[in-house]
Amino acid sequence: MKQRIFYITAVWPYSVFNFFMIIELKKFGEILVSRQDGREAFAAFRPTLTQVQDNEDIEIDFTGVRVFSPSWGDEFFRPLFEMFNQERVTFKNTKNSSVEETLSFLEQLKGVKFKII
Amino acid sequence: MTQIFDIAKQWLISDGKEAPLVSFYFQNSADFRVGLDRFTKTLTGLINSENSQAIIAAVVGEIGNNSFDHNLGNWPDQPGVFFAFDEKERLVVLADRGQGVLTTLKTVRPELDSDEKALKVAFSEVVTSRAPEPRGNGLKFVRQVVANHDFVLDFYSGRAVIHLNDGLEPVIEATDILYNGCLAVFRF
Repeated sequence: MKQRIFYITAVWPYSVFNFFMIIELKKFGEILVSRQDGREAFAAFRPTLTQVQDNEDIEIDFTGVRVFSPSWGDEFFRPLFEMFNQERVTFKNTKNSSVEETLSFLEQLKGVKFKII
Repeated sequence: MTQIFDIAKQWLISDGKEAPLVSFYFQNSADFRVGLDRFTKTLTGLINSENSQAIIAAVVGEIGNNSFDHNLGNWPDQPGVFFAFDEKERLVVLADRGQGVLTTLKTVRPELDSDEKALKVAFSEVVTSRAPEPRGNGLKFVRQVVANHDFVLDFYSGRAVIHLNDGLEPVIEATDILYNGCLAVFRF
């Protein structure tokens, strides 16, 4: 469900070690559309998130997700952003059209801009 | 309109004593998930673009799950959704005998007094019909997707229907027939 890695984000003499927890959403399923499933996914993963340290950020990886919709996303991301400042969360591998449309919709709905790489 | 639309329509305008054919009827969200998975597999043989498959399945999933989210514990008679698709016509029909859009939205917008106004709000204004939970905006997502892609959606509830066609302004009309619940016809 998770893996911890670290990246060197700057070179010497300004080397800084940033730790990331990567959440691979495909581990919750390839089709992520219902509120109930999103809510259960977050509830199951919450204990793991409590282990995230203050110097760690979070990467949400959409690789392998075939279908994604706002209902699942809202149930998972809303409590995630209640636990962690949005600046600490990055989305990656979002090229699937249902992922792009959903993230765009949630941005409009909440009046925020997600960090997407 | 195709046969599956007629079957769904008959179910909604009936007295609700008979369930639809088993092959089209998904009584709970777990059953619907199985049906949606089967639908996405059918799409892979129908449409080459994985991105188009994904966004079509997202729309169908959002509409279908909306039925369960907004009617849990409040189904007037038969719970569940009708879900069928016509591969040749590239058309999906979803229906439920739930409370309908007006009754659902009245809990947070008591001033609403017609099905037409309720459909307008459901597809265009940010609301939550399950206050204090921040939800109830799935149909606006559907509208956004229809506008951004070459899709068409007709959505019936009560005595009204809203037509969404590509990026055109939505058209809302009164209907002669009372649709008990919601009926969506999605063309892709």
